[in-house]
Amino acid sequence: MTDSTLTHSATRRLNLGAGAIIGLCVLGLSILVAVAVGAVSVPLSTVVGVLANKLVPGLVEATWTTGRAAIVWDIRFPRALLAALVGAGLGLVGAALQAVTRNPLADPHLLGISSGAAFGAILALLHTGLFLGLMTVPLLAFCGALVAAMLVVGVAGLAGATSADRLILAGVAVSFIVMAGANVLIFLGDPRATHTVVFWMLGGLGLAQWAHLIWPVAVLVPTGLWLWLRAPEMNAMTVGDETAATLGIAPARFRLQVFVAGALITGVMVAFSGIIGFVGLMMPHIVRLVMGGNNARVLPFSALFGAIFLIWADIAARVVMAPEDMPIGVVTGLIGGVFFVGLLARRRL
Amino acid sequence: MKLATFALLLSATSVHAFPVTVKSCDREVTFDAAPKAAISNDVNLTEMMLVLGLRDSMIGYTGISGWKTLDAKMREGVAELPELSAKYPTKEVLVGAEPDFFFAGWNYGMKVGGEVTPETLAPFGIKTYELTESCIHLGPKDKVAMDDMYDDLLNLGTIFGVSDRAVALVDGYKARLAQVTAGVDRSNPLRVFVYDSGEKAPFTAGKYAMPTAMIEATGGVNIMGDVEKSWAEVAWEPVVERNPQVIVIVNYGDVTAEQKIAFLKTNPAFAGIDAVVNDRFVVLEYIEATPGPRNIEAVEKLVAGFAAK
Repeated sequence: MTDSTLTHSATRRLNLGAGAIIGLCVLGLSILVAVAVGAVSVPLSTVVGVLANKLVPGLVEATWTTGRAAIVWDIRFPRALLAALVGAGLGLVGAALQAVTRNPLADPHLLGISSGAAFGAILALLHTGLFLGLMTVPLLAFCGALVAAMLVVGVAGLAGATSADRLILAGVAVSFIVMAGANVLIFLGDPRATHTVVFWMLGGLGLAQWAHLIWPVAVLVPTGLWLWLRAPEMNAMTVGDETAATLGIAPARFRLQVFVAGALITGVMVAFSGIIGFVGLMMPHIVRLVMGGNNARVLPFSALFGAIFLIWADIAARVVMAPEDMPIGVVTGLIGGVFFVGLLARRRL
Repeated sequence: MKLATFALLLSATSVHAFPVTVKSCDREVTFDAAPKAAISNDVNLTEMMLVLGLRDSMIGYTGISGWKTLDAKMREGVAELPELSAKYPTKEVLVGAEPDFFFAGWNYGMKVGGEVTPETLAPFGIKTYELTESCIHLGPKDKVAMDDMYDDLLNLGTIFGVSDRAVALVDGYKARLAQVTAGVDRSNPLRVFVYDSGEKAPFTAGKYAMPTAMIEATGGVNIMGDVEKSWAEVAWEPVVERNPQVIVIVNYGDVTAEQKIAFLKTNPAFAGIDAVVNDRFVVLEYIEATPGPRNIEAVEKLVAGFAAK
């Protein structure tokens, strides 16, 4: 598959600019829709007015209440942006991991990173309390993710896991150990609070705030750029470790670098959104169908598709059972999974 | 006439002694004026608002019909107030209703680390008062007591400038409680087990849950009162071992009190428990078992149930 798609890349490149422009337009429109719909019905004119006044203060006469303005600007807008950031991060990491492990099932959540984040979050939610205020859960989740990632790297080093398969196995093993620890924390906690944990683990973007968006951005932009710049190495890695080695790449070392970069991004995303499945696993596959297998475009488009997909998943999560928020992991798993089965059935994969 | 006006002014100034500051869990919350657009979550908290005569200061309630039903008394009390969300409200629903006050608790409408917390609501001008019993979910707290519920009523009285009403109400409750429990023999406390739900393992009230305070007010002892939790799942073995003389059933949800009692009676493992042998069960409704004005009626039920036989 990889060879044929690589040879096709020249013809596909013509569409790249158009694809990017269309994708970014769809992304912008999706954010607008996300800001316009929700449990409380806010007239479109109000939504537009509020946004216009934020761009140019005093542009439109404010005929709406402060509550409506707050819903649009302080609740929905940061939430849509967080959805975009998380979706982009997970899609990008999924694509990078699938490339360097040559495993179509590689996923940000498979390699122990999310289990570590869950451990940290459960510790905060059930045991320590919010001793650092609103940032407690994200901070502990992020620390948990990093510790788990370091454990995976350590185990991989300990076991001399130089091959791609062994890195994945190390990740899965660490994931089980950390998850067992997390389950002990759940067991020891107050059972009425455990549904808090269930909700956290199914993912949700309700905690989005303007002030917090800086963290996902600060991690995603530099780390994502670094991954994108490594796309040629990833292309070599998808062919095989030997090919990569002949091109002067140290495969085991490069794989670990990509893994750590992925852990950073996943850690910060999971910290703010909980564990959202499907995006990191499936977006790269969908992108490869559309854009071919060259990682120079698979990576950015996985990010773009992931962002758009997660915005719409969150819209569904907020609207389907309004005024309740459905856990977004349910939406991504159900809708995304069914869609993917459809693709499989049509033998597009 | 002049005197009446003067008295009115006097009472008015004493009532409206704003700003006021109350303690809510580990926070100090200051109110410059009484809230005018309050929202309360769950039946027991909403009833606290209603007994203080605060319906006109409310714009709605949340988190009731998702799991429970309002009884006739409550339906009359809330009258035309809308239920804004059948279960826990989202931030958008709350902000959209434009309240200035939210009365909720941890696991009573708010989840630790969730999107609706005092901190996340504050930027929208919504002040939150937290149910005292629920503060255990944030950090260490004294053992539950009837005072937890009284304090909530008194604090609400202060917040809404109706302290006189709150004090009178609480004094009345205390007097009624003293009267009801006056004849209780405290020399030999009854062993009581609270059965909320669960067949594989029982879900019960621990050291920090309201039933423990009510049982102790009645001269009994909660056999799981040493469990360092609010509501908790325990194992059946210690229940059998500690051999309760009375079992208190909490009635709500899909499994009826009769079904819970039938389960306890038919399982051979419980055949030797005193409460089962002597058929001593007391049924409390959810609204009676959680902190609120109905706790007083609940204590009366417990006294009657404990005294039988």
